[in-house]
Amino acid sequence: MASTQNALSAEPVNFIRDVAPIFERHCLICHNQRVRMGELSLHSADALVKGGENGEALVPGDPESSYLMDLVTSTDGVAEMPKEESPLSKNDVAIIRRWITEGATWPKDLMLKPPVLWSMKPLQRPALPANFRPTPQFRIRTPIDVFVAARHQKAGIKPAPQANRRTLIRRLYLDLVGLLPAPQVVEAFVADKDTLAYEKLVDQLLSSPHYGERWGRYWLDLARYADSDGYLGDSMRPHAWVYREWVINAINEDLPFDQFTIEQLAGDLLDKPTASQKIATGFHRNTLSNTEAGVDLELYRTKEIVDRVNTTGMVWLGLTLGCAECHDHKHDPISQKEFYQLYSFFNNTVESSVKVQNSWEKEEYEQDMQKWQPAYDQLQAQLKSYEIKDLTEKQRAEITKIIAAYKKSTDLKKLVSFYQTKKNGWDKINSKLDQLLKTKPAKPSTKAPSFTERKKDRRDTFIHVRGIYNRPGEKVTPGTPTVLPGLPSKNNNLNRLDFAQWLFQENHPMTARVAVNRIWQQLFGHGIVATPNDFGTKGAKPTHPLLLDWLAVEYRERQWSRKAMIRMIVLSSTYQLSSAANASPNNKDLNNQLLWRQNSYRVNAEIVRDIHLTASGLLDRTIGRRGIRPPLPAFVTDVGRSVKWPASQGSERYRRGMYIVFKRTVPYPMLMTFDAPDATVSCSRRERSNTPLQALTLLNGPMFYECAQELGRQMIKQHPDNLQAAIQEMFMRCFSRPASKQELKYLSAAYSDLLQLADKQSKETKQTEPPQLTAMVQVARIVMNLDEFITRD
Amino acid sequence: MIPEQFNNQTNELDALNRRRFFATSASGLGTLALASLMKQDGLFASDPTTQLSHIAPRAKRCIYLFMEGGPSQMDLFDPKPKLNELDGQPMPESILKDIKFAFIQKEAARLMGSPRTFRRYGECGMELSDLLPHLSTCVDDIAMIRSMHCEQFNHLPGQLMMLSGSDLQGRPTLGSWLNYGLGSESQNLPGYVVLATLGRGLPGGASSWSSGFLPSQYAGTLFRNQGSPVLNLANPTGLSSQAQQRSLQTINELNGLRFDQIGNPEIASRIKAYELAFRMQQTAPELLDLSGETKTTLEEYGVTREDTSKTNTGFMGSYARNCLLARRMVERGVRFVTLFLSTWDHHSSLDSGLKRYTQISDQPIAALLKDLKRRGLLDETLVVFGGEFGRTPLGENRVNFKKVTGRDHHPYSYSMWLAGGGIKGGQVIGETDEIGWGVTKDPVHVHDLHATILQLFGLDHKKLTYQFQGRDFRLTDVSGNVVEKLLA
Repeated sequence: MASTQNALSAEPVNFIRDVAPIFERHCLICHNQRVRMGELSLHSADALVKGGENGEALVPGDPESSYLMDLVTSTDGVAEMPKEESPLSKNDVAIIRRWITEGATWPKDLMLKPPVLWSMKPLQRPALPANFRPTPQFRIRTPIDVFVAARHQKAGIKPAPQANRRTLIRRLYLDLVGLLPAPQVVEAFVADKDTLAYEKLVDQLLSSPHYGERWGRYWLDLARYADSDGYLGDSMRPHAWVYREWVINAINEDLPFDQFTIEQLAGDLLDKPTASQKIATGFHRNTLSNTEAGVDLELYRTKEIVDRVNTTGMVWLGLTLGCAECHDHKHDPISQKEFYQLYSFFNNTVESSVKVQNSWEKEEYEQDMQKWQPAYDQLQAQLKSYEIKDLTEKQRAEITKIIAAYKKSTDLKKLVSFYQTKKNGWDKINSKLDQLLKTKPAKPSTKAPSFTERKKDRRDTFIHVRGIYNRPGEKVTPGTPTVLPGLPSKNNNLNRLDFAQWLFQENHPMTARVAVNRIWQQLFGHGIVATPNDFGTKGAKPTHPLLLDWLAVEYRERQWSRKAMIRMIVLSSTYQLSSAANASPNNKDLNNQLLWRQNSYRVNAEIVRDIHLTASGLLDRTIGRRGIRPPLPAFVTDVGRSVKWPASQGSERYRRGMYIVFKRTVPYPMLMTFDAPDATVSCSRRERSNTPLQALTLLNGPMFYECAQELGRQMIKQHPDNLQAAIQEMFMRCFSRPASKQELKYLSAAYSDLLQLADKQSKETKQTEPPQLTAMVQVARIVMNLDEFITRD
Repeated sequence: MIPEQFNNQTNELDALNRRRFFATSASGLGTLALASLMKQDGLFASDPTTQLSHIAPRAKRCIYLFMEGGPSQMDLFDPKPKLNELDGQPMPESILKDIKFAFIQKEAARLMGSPRTFRRYGECGMELSDLLPHLSTCVDDIAMIRSMHCEQFNHLPGQLMMLSGSDLQGRPTLGSWLNYGLGSESQNLPGYVVLATLGRGLPGGASSWSSGFLPSQYAGTLFRNQGSPVLNLANPTGLSSQAQQRSLQTINELNGLRFDQIGNPEIASRIKAYELAFRMQQTAPELLDLSGETKTTLEEYGVTREDTSKTNTGFMGSYARNCLLARRMVERGVRFVTLFLSTWDHHSSLDSGLKRYTQISDQPIAALLKDLKRRGLLDETLVVFGGEFGRTPLGENRVNFKKVTGRDHHPYSYSMWLAGGGIKGGQVIGETDEIGWGVTKDPVHVHDLHATILQLFGLDHKKLTYQFQGRDFRLTDVSGNVVEKLLA
């Protein structure tokens, strides 16, 4: 790319050979025919002479008077342009100067174009690297390994050894289902001589219904899923869970990613859409909505659409479209007009709902009724004795009607004309009736939030000048960014379905790259592109561009099967590398950019909870359905407006973290402490912090302590008077490995000290709990607080 | 400033520093006892790789007295004699034309004078309402801004704007930005603490102290002012402090073993986090223990005041206690303390409402200023007072209101004040027109206020950025000018 022309050479400057490459490389991203930062473009001679907001940029023949020279000439290593980049080389500056001096000739009609962003280049399957030698340390199991090994060898890096079977089974469980393997499953896998043992394990996990929960939760992050509206009202969305369940099921069924997408963006527009396809459109109903009294409704309607465009951009295009809401995108080739063209796809949607009938809801209702009915029947009998004389059939019908229509206590006043209310005991019986009617189980009436297309009074879409919703500019029609492949021009009335299908056009370069990068990210902790929602100019560049493209093509050719891609990746040697930082003496690549090892990282918030519940055996494995509310102290819920948080009862309390009701203004503290997203905007990558509040949560949080208590109790029961065996079993449950001698030593010492303390305390306070149990619970608590427990190695 | 692709690695980088530290400690981690670890410097919510300082800082800590709901400026801080004269008159149509209200019906609305009396106080002669007898003794230390303005006329968008510089949920709040930029000074307490005196709760709930897209370690930590101050701070019932300490010892020993074995730096961070958690367990309850405070101090703040009000009973003592706790926190190095007092949203019963809320807050706030000053803390502690907007000079005639007894939301001009931490006290900045509708001199937008606050902390608001979704986000979005007049 560098100019071959030496600035001092005698030969005249050749624009096409010498100058154009400099412009294209350093200037045209921000100054081209479409994006004109500072109103300046360098795409043609005319444009350059015309200049920008600071006047003419160039005076042919006179570099001293040319503003362009001021901008690119550096002083003390700093130049005004190119912005946020190192200054042009001295040679490049000298070439531009000579070109101006020589008259700044520009071949007639030559138009320069900005360089095509790497992610927008056509997607083709790259050839496997040939320049590498197979080594015994790193087996080539899949083409992925070829790409990775070639980079290792080029950089002279020795990969880590493969992880042992214990680490592998724990890794696979956490990555594919987000739970821990039971000790006997681990032992069976370790002992399994079958060469296909690993592969079989992978298949087994991919067909587990918990797989849909694990991978569904990733998708819910992107979908900014929550159970309430957000903002001041923050009303509950009591049926939002139907969409969550749809996601889990769709992923378990391996609904191909194209179909998965189309149903979510435009399920309602499919030919005779099924209920499931309508429920899928709930994706864009997860947007926050402001219902505060006195708000400007149109303003917040437009904000919701802006969020939908932004989310769609980040999730499928890897583009930060939001940057073009108020003005042309400053870095990526997206104009403000194009933003509103995308906006117009979503500007005629109507919020609707889909009736949902679940057999479990019906069963639940029938069971609840069975519990409720006897007391009611009994009361009915009692009521009889209060009836006024000679009740007519008509009056009886009236009574039934009043009771059936019951909503609030005062409704019962309508009964007074039919009963002897002065008779002793009426008040009591009346209030009992009131109580019973209040607690009468409600018939299931689940309605999932969905989208439909507005048929009448369709809105026109205008550019919002400077992003201000009530300052309409040019009128626009639905369309896709020109920098990307166009839609087949079948008609002028493009709708969401056309848009969704366009994402999967054969020649679309972005969708597959973006989607496959996220799969990779979930299996390695980092994406090949570290900014999964930004494949634009400001985003990270891929660490393995060829591998990314190879995977993207593969995804498309495997009919967008998520399971197939996950299977292929986890079968690679690259995935199975040890994650130990000291696994290979490599100091050159501390951040593991070249994947010489697996990454080791703390599991996600929900999984922190799930593995505690698994290891202690408390986990309720119910999949899908309504959310739960684990107990919370009032001072936490009181910060929000009128937050009702009736704690879930029974085993429901021990359901997986992904089912905790997410109230946006009062998010469940444990989830937030462990970096769950706040569901305000789409989240494609969670932070992973490591804080004292996390330590306090795991040490003292009631649910976590309950898990330690349960584990301790079981150990005392199963291994009475055998501390070593108890510790070994706890290690197997929590880490899928036995404890080392040294670990046994430390824990035995801790047990004996804790036993002494417990003994002393029990004498002082006359506790009934045996000190051995107290000490064992505390040892379980120690084990469950180790870094290794919440780490996926 | 920090490219997004490195965000995940800041902990790793931080941990690498620690790894170097641990590598040089001869004893190795496994054998280090908790007691000795506790002596080491701790970093709470702070990250050396992200610390920066652009300008010489004047303030080190901030106490933000957030008056939720929007206190009425013309009844407290900005006297409008002309408005009193025009009481009952309609508004000039030229002003009404383009205005939106949350609840007022424009056509029938009438101006509403203030029944309050204003007097001049202090050497500077600042005018304040008779509802603020205590604050009036502090005027020479405070800078009153009468020309605040913004665009948000609903509570939550307004509060989010004030707290995070954006009307949308999901952005980091001021306290998060400051801790992100400067780290924490406290070894034992979080760098960002929230205390709340709430009636029916805050519109934004926990988003009022969210770290938004910044890592969760920069989020505010909600403290209770009694009992166990932080969620999960207390040991599980029946677990003694010795047992906790003994357990932590083994947790750290075993984590140390694992670290020696596989060398993952994150383990070292985990060990540190557990040490800090333990220190917090020791320190935080002490923070709430006011037995070391003198009777005079308790009385000055009004901690022991009797509160006979039927609504929000106990607010007087609770808010006083929070003010005193705020001082105790900044004394202990907490970077940012927010005290919420809810609610000043007086759409009706403005007179009695203001009496009640000034009764709750005036005395403790004045006591806080004086106490900080006496202890030499005020110089480096910025105190900010204000709500999300002010209130209309028009009386509120909402559809279902029988009588007009209150005022509607008014973001176009309102008052706030600042003190300490590099603020030039004893001055009034800005003016509003004679009925208090709009700003006529030295307008201060929320972004300007934020730019100024960051400047006081030595941070250039244009440089304190975080890349998220492809954009370099700032607290001040794309605007903000430092209000030079505010600076001492």
